Amino acid sequence: MTTASTTTARPRRSRWTGGGWGIKIAPYLFLVPNMAIFAVFTIYPAFNGFNMSLYESNNGRTFRWVGLENYGRILTDVEFWNVARNTAVFAVGFVVLSTLIALVIAALVNAQRRGKTFFRAVFFIPVLVSPVVVGLIWNWMLERQNGLVNTGLGWLGTPPVPWLVNGTWAMVAIILVGMWMQVGFYMLILLAGLQSIDPALYEAARMDGANWWQQFRVITVPLLQPSIVVVVVLGTIHGFQSFDFIWTLTGGGPVGATTLMVQYIYENGFQSPIRYGVATAGGVLLFIAVFTLTIINWLISRRREAV
Amino acid sequence: MLFVTIDEFPSSLAHRIKEDLVAIMRKRGIAALAIGASALLIAGCAPGQLEDDSPQGVQTANPEDFAGEALTYMYFTDGPDEEATRQLIRGFEDMYDVTVELEILPYADLVTSTLNRLSGGNAPDVARLTSLTDFRSDLLVLDPYLGDDYADEFLAGPVQAVFNENDEMIAVPSDLTLNGPFINVNLFEQAGVPIPEEWTWEEMLAAAKEVKDATGTPYAFAMDKSGHRLSTILSQYGTYLLDSDGNALDIEKAEEALQPLIDMMANDDMPADFWLGSGSRYEGANEIFLAGDTPIYLSGNWQVAQFAQNAAFEWAVAPNPCAEECGGFPGGKFMAAFEQSENPALAAEFIRFMNQADNQETFVTIAGALPTRTDLSESGVTYADETTQAAMDVFLGDLRVTPEAGFASNANPAFSASATNLVDAVSLVVSGATDLPSALATLSRQIDDLVAELGS
Repeated sequence: MTTASTTTARPRRSRWTGGGWGIKIAPYLFLVPNMAIFAVFTIYPAFNGFNMSLYESNNGRTFRWVGLENYGRILTDVEFWNVARNTAVFAVGFVVLSTLIALVIAALVNAQRRGKTFFRAVFFIPVLVSPVVVGLIWNWMLERQNGLVNTGLGWLGTPPVPWLVNGTWAMVAIILVGMWMQVGFYMLILLAGLQSIDPALYEAARMDGANWWQQFRVITVPLLQPSIVVVVVLGTIHGFQSFDFIWTLTGGGPVGATTLMVQYIYENGFQSPIRYGVATAGGVLLFIAVFTLTIINWLISRRREAV
Repeated sequence: MLFVTIDEFPSSLAHRIKEDLVAIMRKRGIAALAIGASALLIAGCAPGQLEDDSPQGVQTANPEDFAGEALTYMYFTDGPDEEATRQLIRGFEDMYDVTVELEILPYADLVTSTLNRLSGGNAPDVARLTSLTDFRSDLLVLDPYLGDDYADEFLAGPVQAVFNENDEMIAVPSDLTLNGPFINVNLFEQAGVPIPEEWTWEEMLAAAKEVKDATGTPYAFAMDKSGHRLSTILSQYGTYLLDSDGNALDIEKAEEALQPLIDMMANDDMPADFWLGSGSRYEGANEIFLAGDTPIYLSGNWQVAQFAQNAAFEWAVAPNPCAEECGGFPGGKFMAAFEQSENPALAAEFIRFMNQADNQETFVTIAGALPTRTDLSESGVTYADETTQAAMDVFLGDLRVTPEAGFASNANPAFSASATNLVDAVSLVVSGATDLPSALATLSRQIDDLVAELGS
């Protein structure tokens, strides 16, 4: 006996999307190529870095087990603590200044009725320039005697600033240049956040008599918080990992005043005497610092969201 | 007669003596067998090949043996030397019917690239190196290919650096450099200050200031920011960072040598910004000299080719100033092959070819370098033009009075890192962070640590 089916015919399921197992596995299969590359070129080197930090090697081929000796050596090294202090000062200055300036620029660009795309591109251009080139350009511009910046300041009657030969000014210089280099990227993130805020909220606030500052404080900042957290996290990572433009701008000088953690790692790993174990131990400490700060940022932002 | 035969003894005594002798012979035979067996056993368990102490003569290779083979030569260039190298390689390829792949890389990447390639089991056959420190255990022992006497063909100074702990040759000094002062002749003439045939440090600095005052140049004296260049002054004042045994720094002599530099930077007679503004990076002051901003510039003979091409004024090389010692401070490059090389015989033959008298002469003539071969050093080398010839003749003259201790210092594995620390010490004093005696005392402790870490 044949019966007419009352159910609508289901489309034929393909091998990878039809069955329960197939539909579960398909997304992971799409991820496999990327994850394989990530595992080979990121995860494995990272774990190998942890491993190498427990050995001593001066050629990358022969290793001698030293346990935690490399960490002990770093933590009792006066230079390391100078470098750690420099890195903290730079990271705080860079993150705070970059976030504030990026926020101001994003607000200004967002307020433009015309030319928004043009300004966005202008502020983004430094992000596209090689950090090494950025360092070289600013090294020339910040030269005390013939630099463009001091020449300009001279026209305003200001005496030459020892940007690159005084420790404090050199730190100011690398914070400003780092900010100049990255602020366009952060501005784009914040601009996207600003553009996602419903204009009706501002309109309602204006009708209630809120001034510009009140609108900014009560509407913009709270609704922009997820974007600000992203900028702060990225800024912290950038701040702690900065090296290339500083190397060509100040070389970590004068007398180590702008030597940051990555340069310390580089000098131990690639300059005589080569100490791969100490360099990788420094890398592990840097990872722990950045990871801890990222977690703290995330926890703070979560708590604020809950409030 | 003092000696008697056994047969002259009474028969019983003679018999006993014969029996004792036979017993002793038997025992010795067993002992000899035991010693021989032990030697064979030890030789069988030896961790490597047993050393052959018999001297090896300078070997000659038949070009036909290498026909169709290839080798890689890792190279960094200072400029005109590249053309000289390519020219010589063409000659080698033609003579031996082989292919040489010249791999040129930036000097800054030389050590790390070579170490990475060694780690990957992909070392070049031959490399041009400025220091053997990081590669000593990886370099091919050249004695079996070039002979024990091959080192005798080179000057005693630069050849000090090319032996391993077993006194085997692991590299060949391919060209020699020497530090010395360059003079802006136009500025000296404009100031009416004569350029002397010999001078002391005080006389040289006094002349430099006189020229500066008379011509209005920004500086009186400039030098590369380099521990190697600072070692020139230490050497002239009779002290060194290192000798073949370890730390050799005499703090009092070093203070006497370096204080005038510190004073000049404090008085703007020497560019302090240049010294402080580049952190731990090496910085050459050649652009300051080429801009005509200083009458005297302390650098080395590798600048000669560049100045011959680019200087817009008349320049010359003056003899190094004397204090306790005269002469400059040496450096140079080496050619070495790696144990990983698949064709060590060809690699060694290539090194020999590049450093035979006629080829080294070609190289140093075009590159503006100093020869490392004894015969070329004695006969002299003819350079491309009069200015270069005059400059190189001064360097060659200074080389003859350069103390052997300078070569030993430069050959010490801890030299490069100690020289970096010397720059840091001077930078600290220039910045006002510390005084010179304290900085030098710290430097001395750092040198001790480096010697303990890297050996001597």
